[in-house]
Amino acid sequence: MSEKYEIRLNIYALTWRLPIIFWQLIFFVGPVLFMVAMSFFLVKNYRMNEAFEFVNWSRMMTRGFFWDSYWYTLGIATLSTFCAMCVAFPAAFALAFRTAESTRRWAIFLLIIPFFTSYLVRTFSWFVILSENGVVNAVLGYVGLGPFKMLNTDFGTLVGYMTLTLPLVVILQTVTMANIDKSLIEAARNLGCSPLRTIWQVIIPLSKTGLIIAAIFCFILSFGDFVAPFYLGGSQEPTLPILILDTTKSGQQWPRAAVVAIMMMVTLFVIAFTGIALAYRKGKGSK
Amino acid sequence: MKQSQTLNFILGIYVVMIFAFVFAPIIFSMVFSFNSQRFPTIPLGEFSTEWYEKVLADPDIWKAARNSLIVSFSTALIATFLGFCTAYSDFRYNFRFKGPYLALILLPPTIPLIIMALAMLAWLSKIGMSGQLYSIIIAHSVLTAPFAMAVIRLRLNQMDPDLESAAWNLGGSEWKTMRYVIVPFCKPAIFSSLFLTAAVSFDEFAVSWFVSGLNSTLPVVVLEIVQGNIDPQVNAIGTFVFLTSMTLVVLAQLFFASRQIKGMQS
Amino acid sequence: MSKPLVIFDKVQKHFGSFVAVKGLDFEIHQGEFLAIMGPSGCGKTTTLRMLAGLEAPSVGEIRLNGRVMNDVAPHERDTPLVWQSLALFPFLTARENVEFGLKMRGVSKAERKQRAIKWLDKMGILEFENRHISTLSGGQRQRVALARSLVMEPQILLLDEPLSALDAHLVIRMQAVLTDLQRELGITFVYVTHSQSEAFAMADRVIIMGKGEIGQIGTPKEIYRAPANRFVAEFVGRNNILAGKVKSIDGRSAQITTPSGIFTVPTNEVQLLEGHKASFVISADLMHIATEEPSGTNKAFCKLISEEFVGSMVTLFLEDAQGHEFKVQMQERELSKFDLHSGDEIWLSWDVQSAHVLNES
Repeated sequence: MSEKYEIRLNIYALTWRLPIIFWQLIFFVGPVLFMVAMSFFLVKNYRMNEAFEFVNWSRMMTRGFFWDSYWYTLGIATLSTFCAMCVAFPAAFALAFRTAESTRRWAIFLLIIPFFTSYLVRTFSWFVILSENGVVNAVLGYVGLGPFKMLNTDFGTLVGYMTLTLPLVVILQTVTMANIDKSLIEAARNLGCSPLRTIWQVIIPLSKTGLIIAAIFCFILSFGDFVAPFYLGGSQEPTLPILILDTTKSGQQWPRAAVVAIMMMVTLFVIAFTGIALAYRKGKGSK
Repeated sequence: MKQSQTLNFILGIYVVMIFAFVFAPIIFSMVFSFNSQRFPTIPLGEFSTEWYEKVLADPDIWKAARNSLIVSFSTALIATFLGFCTAYSDFRYNFRFKGPYLALILLPPTIPLIIMALAMLAWLSKIGMSGQLYSIIIAHSVLTAPFAMAVIRLRLNQMDPDLESAAWNLGGSEWKTMRYVIVPFCKPAIFSSLFLTAAVSFDEFAVSWFVSGLNSTLPVVVLEIVQGNIDPQVNAIGTFVFLTSMTLVVLAQLFFASRQIKGMQS
Repeated sequence: MSKPLVIFDKVQKHFGSFVAVKGLDFEIHQGEFLAIMGPSGCGKTTTLRMLAGLEAPSVGEIRLNGRVMNDVAPHERDTPLVWQSLALFPFLTARENVEFGLKMRGVSKAERKQRAIKWLDKMGILEFENRHISTLSGGQRQRVALARSLVMEPQILLLDEPLSALDAHLVIRMQAVLTDLQRELGITFVYVTHSQSEAFAMADRVIIMGKGEIGQIGTPKEIYRAPANRFVAEFVGRNNILAGKVKSIDGRSAQITTPSGIFTVPTNEVQLLEGHKASFVISADLMHIATEEPSGTNKAFCKLISEEFVGSMVTLFLEDAQGHEFKVQMQERELSKFDLHSGDEIWLSWDVQSAHVLNES
């Protein structure tokens, strides 16, 4: 091919390839790397000075409140993931195996709607519903129960997390299980596997990859959310995102917020990679 | 057989309960927005449009709504452009470092918004671009470009790989082929992507809150109101935001559906 | 022969370490219908794509009208291609598809429309001009694809297995459409196919390709009756191949010893040497059968293994005492005189002149 033509082809190819590289380098890689650098900066008189000191790290790592918050966040995000996976499973099972294709598509469409409604407004709605005199306690009052304190408890936080994650988890579980080869399940039933054993020994191993991915997403969303623990959990025990929020917004201590953010990212990467490695590990029953 | 029917019935009830949980906050928010009580509960108070009147009378909210529209519209254009370029590059070319290249666009949604918010705030302040409306647009484009890329990439998957060569063969240069073949082919996906990214941007509050400075968008106003006290104005705004987002999503779905029907026929 | 329109001059095409085309050296004449045929992976489509500029030759030159084409971009050539997948634009109507090339070339709107309509009419699909591609049948789409290429009024039309997606009865119809068009327009058609029946039915000349090389170039009859080598003979099929050693050469004929017997063959152009290996073919339709032992040297006594009917033609598969397979092709009504059943034994024979010695190289 002639040189001129080849140059023209290369210009064409690069026109499409380069925009995203530039954009993401400046506005994605830049911010993330800068945040890492910022964790070594110093703050004096409410002003940030570029430096390379470990003082933010040593301060945060030695503070009890940071580790309290860290383990609490890890714990409640894990609990949230566990709850969401368990609560979603029977519904996903029903949608995957007991409903017609068209019903399933409608169900998934309905479950997408919440993603396009304001999560804030939904949380606010729960705040009103779960309050001391709210709808739930009013209804329970008619049958002589309560009132229960639901706001400003871990229960409130979990309700918030579920609001955020449950639709996604149900969708992912449903899609995964709907893709299982039905004949394998029938074969297991034919061989005398009880329904429960079939779920445990056939369906779950076959949908392992999808289930783990659903759990990872659920964990990432819960771990990073500040709205539910703040408004519904009352930030009794501040989670890491609330810590970032407070340090950034009120204290002007951006470098310390960066330390918290980096700790969160490292934790998420470790969990996500472990999960993915588990999900794609070749072994008994895996795809 | 009978046992299985009972089981199906129980599962059915369970699914309905899950949907009830998912939709309860949305529906209650709408109901409360027309309710006169400041602390809504059961039994409901009188029907009232008080909160809507309040919202409509508030110039700050009008300004925020305007900001939101500008942000989501601009974000949609930029994210869709970036998504299209990337999807086309991925579809058309094999090159070194393609893995990192794709990771570059696909990674942002896996990072919690609060972290993105902090990183964006710090970086944009550093380069003197924070506190403006365009700061939100930049951040939202990073967050939503992956969705645009996914939608357009799926569409390109349906394209006959000979189509591009056929256009060259008939005398179209690469650029003309892009203009007259690739873009028309992707048109439904491009519209889906515009509506989808606009909807995601319209709802995002964490990053907007951090980088917007004084240029609040609607979700940021909601966040600020909610922080203060219980104010059912939030329900009114929420209902408005919901209707806007849903309109966008339904439009995106319509384009998606029409493209699927066409895809099935061809 | 008329003057050459296209010349392939020692063309090679490499994809990394894989050599798709090993060395093409041939000419395409003005106004001929040339078929390039071969098994899949033989490099026939690559050859066509090089002609269209979609692949660049790694070695050698391709000349069109005397002009070296290696450096010419695909969109600057006038070599429209009819694609195996048709590659019609699904978002355009039939007429817009036909107009596409003209639009790219900057032809005015009015002229575009007029020319597109002329060609749609010529292809008998004018009534569908405003229909979208997805609503047309396979045969109609085929015609749109042809019109889209021919509206460019090229000197040469490239066709890449265009009929492979059609039903058998449509293939026959489209073959007639294509040959008529080619005769009428007088332009060169280069037709790539793996189907022998398509190539032999339509082409003036056929190129048989195998493993990136040309096995033989010739008229369908030449290739069928006188395959140049074993690869072509086997690819064309429906013939009997016998291999052995040259026993003696006697002027214009020779004796060849094979496991199945000693046979006499004409020497033709092939150089035979006494004591050397040699093989020859006889087309299946030039074999005779008889119940009595025929006179002459070229005969074999065989057992009938099976029969295969295609229309009124029958192919008999037989085996001699040494287990060598023979094929005989004949009219069904001719066969019925014999009342044969599988397992029956019968004599085969052929004329000396029916045999064709293969080039061993």
